[in-house]
Parts: sequence; structure tokens; C-alpha cells
Amino acid sequence: MGQPVVQTIQRDPALFYWILLPITVVMILTGILRHYATILLQSTPKKQPLPNVRQHRSLIRGVNLRQNGNQLSPSSFQNRRAQMVSDFKEGKFLADPEGRGKPRPNPMTDPAAMEGMMGMMKGQMTMMIPQTLIMGWINAFFSGFVIMKLPFPLTPQFKSMLQSGVGTRDLDVRWVSSLSWYFLTLFGLQPVYNFILGSNNSANQVTQQMAQMNPNPGAMGPDQDPDKLFLNEAENLEVMEHRWILDGVEDRILAQLA
Amino acid sequence: MAFPDLLHPPSHTSQSSALRLSQEAPRILAKAPTSSLPYPLSLLSSSETEETWTIYENLFLSCLRTGDNVSARKCIDHLTARFGAVNERIMALTGIYKEAAAADTAALVKVLDKYNEAIQADPTNMPVRKRKVATLKALNRPADAIASLVELLDLSPTDAEAWSELSDLYLAQSMFSQAIYSLEEVLLIFPNAWAMQARMGELLYLSYLSSPADPSTLSEALRRYCRSLELCDDYLRGYYGLKITCQKILENAPKTSSKAVAASEDLPPPSPAKVEKLHELATKKLAEIVRRASQQEPGWDGYDEAELIAARALLDRDAEVIVR
Repeated sequence: MGQPVVQTIQRDPALFYWILLPITVVMILTGILRHYATILLQSTPKKQPLPNVRQHRSLIRGVNLRQNGNQLSPSSFQNRRAQMVSDFKEGKFLADPEGRGKPRPNPMTDPAAMEGMMGMMKGQMTMMIPQTLIMGWINAFFSGFVIMKLPFPLTPQFKSMLQSGVGTRDLDVRWVSSLSWYFLTLFGLQPVYNFILGSNNSANQVTQQMAQMNPNPGAMGPDQDPDKLFLNEAENLEVMEHRWILDGVEDRILAQLA
Repeated sequence: MAFPDLLHPPSHTSQSSALRLSQEAPRILAKAPTSSLPYPLSLLSSSETEETWTIYENLFLSCLRTGDNVSARKCIDHLTARFGAVNERIMALTGIYKEAAAADTAALVKVLDKYNEAIQADPTNMPVRKRKVATLKALNRPADAIASLVELLDLSPTDAEAWSELSDLYLAQSMFSQAIYSLEEVLLIFPNAWAMQARMGELLYLSYLSSPADPSTLSEALRRYCRSLELCDDYLRGYYGLKITCQKILENAPKTSSKAVAASEDLPPPSPAKVEKLHELATKKLAEIVRRASQQEPGWDGYDEAELIAARALLDRDAEVIVR
């Protein structure tokens, strides 16, 4: 029983210059290109019409009263709450008072919603096209090449990650195939982009996809009925418990400082 | 950055540093931020950073403050060239320039008409709406200013800046309950703004002075000051207000004690012993702040000169009473 045999493969050093470097450089350049393409394709966000702004901000005012109501004296809070609850129930702040109680229109027929979807499509396209092209390019020219050896040992679980496109069972896990190198750069270049483009870049599609999963959770979704939101908020306000923050503040101050 | 002051809004820079900045203006303006090359080439040679335009905007306001309209014009030209004349913010800034350059009331009214046109064209243009309020205020038409501010707040009720401006306008008209209501809205948006808590105390105190019927206003003022001190240690304005409010309460103590039970549905007024203690505390702290700040001990700078003088005067007045 001796040391495990170290596999050696005689590699042409040209593999390094003609496969490893080109893939890396091409990946970085596509990232940068994608960043600028997304900036160019971005449509400026359309202005909300005035009634919608009013509706949205009035709702936020209700939320503010619920969250920070403790700042007000009980009498002033009660007045405000009574006023706001009755306004919300009447639908005073609705952008479209006639549309109360009617079902929401289908988002596919709504031109404003279509525009948003177009924007998302554009974002998807800037990711999909270069990815397909580069994948095809690597498959056509470099498939099956083993291009480098990692300087540290790994467990066999990494075989599928590091040796895709190379069908040899006994090859040591430390060898990396060209297709795997592509995947590694695809997922691992974010720090490089941060370095080149600044931290708020849109070069990496992985982070972009994650951002699209939950587009700003605070905002009112387009398919939510504003009237329901208002009624909901009115109910929240009605059941809310009020405790004035100034109650006993003089004792707290004296305890803290004296 | 060579000009750290230029990255903050100029309302916080002192008079002297605003003057210094505007004297630097020609030198800053000499460096063109955008290159003169045609479009694709200009991308390569521009030295624009994120701070560039903040600097220009603040420089513009500083120049107007010190009356250097020529440099201000240059700033606004650069900004317009970069963002276009229809940008909301640029429209407001251009408006400020025109207001400042207006020689008489007629010219100011003309600016106001421009604002009205812009608002008609785009009712969501909040910066210009705010300029309109400011112009009405400058024209000494507070009722109109309040009306248009109320309209703005109906459309955008989460705008703390507008609420606090409305509160000031009402206060100038001595409409205390409206002013207090508006300031309460600010507190609902920014609950931990200690300056606003103290301001609330000031409003309550003033409203008590104008109609000293309800002693509960005074005890709420006291508590507001306490809250502002709870949020911000060594807050000079808070201690100042606390001291004079305590003095007032103690002055009134013999009169109110007979009918104290009747007033105040919210909270019972603090006991005289507590008020006495708070008064002592405020006096002690004020003296400490004044002493340390006037000796410019490290960590005790940044107090406003005028506020320090006022605090010292208050303490001196106290001392006189004791001597007598």
C-alpha cells in the first residue's frame, strides 16, 4: 500500500492560452456588455397619474398613523383615527371611485401592465441571448477538453460540477473541463463585475433573476384591489391599541440623567 | 473631495462657509463636468461622478445666498445642459434663480404665473408646487400659500417637509391648533425626529402663552421636551425649553392646584416635586453645555452660537433672581 497514484495528464500548454483565457475573457466582456445593454434598454419609469399617487400616499398615511400613532396624545389620536377610518371606508382617496366593488381588469388587457411585462422581457432577452450564444460556442469548439487542474483535492461529489462534458469515470476530480469552467465563471464572476463596474451593476443574470423573484415587496401590486387595501387598513386602525409614548417620559428622563 | 461642505444641502452650512464656497465658485465652474466631444466619444472623456451634480446644486444655492447671480447662472446652465429643461428638479432650481433675480414684485408675480403654467401642464410636479408655495410666501400672501400647500398635502399626505412648512405658516398666523396638527403629522412620518419633538414643545408652549386657559398644554410641552431629550442627549434646545416650561409650571402652581383635577383628559400633570427636579436637571445640564461649549472642549462643538448665547442669558436671568 503506497501513496495513491497521482494522475498526470500531459496537457498542451496551448490549452491554457487558447481555451481557458478566451473563455474567461469572453465571459467578463459579456458581463460588461450586458450591464451597458440593460442600461440602454431600460425604459424610464412612467409617471403615475395624480389620483394614483394620492391613493397610494393616503394609504401610506394610514399605515404611518397605525405604526407611529403612539407619538400622539390620546385625544388627538382618537380624532385622527375616527376621521381616517370613515374616509377609508367611504373610499375618499380611491383613484377610481366608480370602480369600487367591480372585479379588477385582466392584466393582459391593461396597456400599463403590458408595458411592465415588456420591460421584463427585455431584461430576460439580454440574459438569454448571450448565454445561448456562448454556450453554443463552447460546445462547438471546446467540448471535451480538460483544461486545468485544481491545486487542492476534492470529494467525488464535485465530479458532475467540474467535469461536465467529459465522460471518463476514473478521472481525478481535480481536473476541470472547459464546459465546467464556463459554468464556474457564469456563477462566480460577480466580485469581478463589482470591481470593474461598481457594486450596483446588472452584469450577472443570477442576481438579476433573484431580484425579479420579488420586485419591491413594499409597493402595491397591480393586481390588488385598492379598495380592499383601504378597508383592511381601516380595520387595522380600528382594533389598534394606543399607548402614548409620553406617558411617564419625565420619570424615564429623571432616572436616566439624575 | 476638496469641498466637503458642498455635499450637504446648504441650509445647514453657516453664513461664513456659504460665502467661502461661493468665492470658490469660479474655480469649480472652470472645470467643465461634461466634455464637449460629440456623443459616443464624450462617454470616454467625461469626468462625471455621482457627487458632481450634488456639488453643482449646492454651489448654486450658496451662490444665490451670497448674491453671486453670475456664478449661479453658470451652475444652472451646466445642470440644464445635463438634465434638460423639463426635468422637475431643474425646473424648480431655475425657478429659484428667477425668484432671486426678480427685481420687484411684478417680476415675482411673473415667476408665479410660470409656476402655475407648469403645474397645469403636469399636475404631479411636486418640486414646482413647493416653489409656488415659497413664492406666495415671499409675496406676502400667506392665505394663498396655505391654500396651495393644503392642496399639495391632499395629493401627497406623506410629505414631511410640506407638513412642517404648513405648520410654520399657521404659526405665523397664530393659528396654534392647526400648526400643532400639522406638526403631529410630521411626527407620524418621522417619530424619532428629536428636533421635531422639541419644536412641538415650543408650539405647545407658545399656544399656552397666547391662551393660558388649559394647563395640560403646558404639561404636554414639558413631556415633549423630555421626549426630545430622551432621543438626543445634550440637546440644547430641549433643555432650554424644558427649563422655561418648568419655570412656567412652577409659577402657576399655586393657581392651578385648586382646579388641576378638572383639566386634562389625556394624562395627569406631573407632580410639582417632579417638575422641580426636572428644572434642577435642566439648569444643571444647560450650565454644563454652556461651560463646555464655550471652552470648546473636544466633542462639545457644533452648538449654534446664537443658541448658546440665549442659554447663557437664561441662566444669568436665573442668577439675578437668586441674588435679589
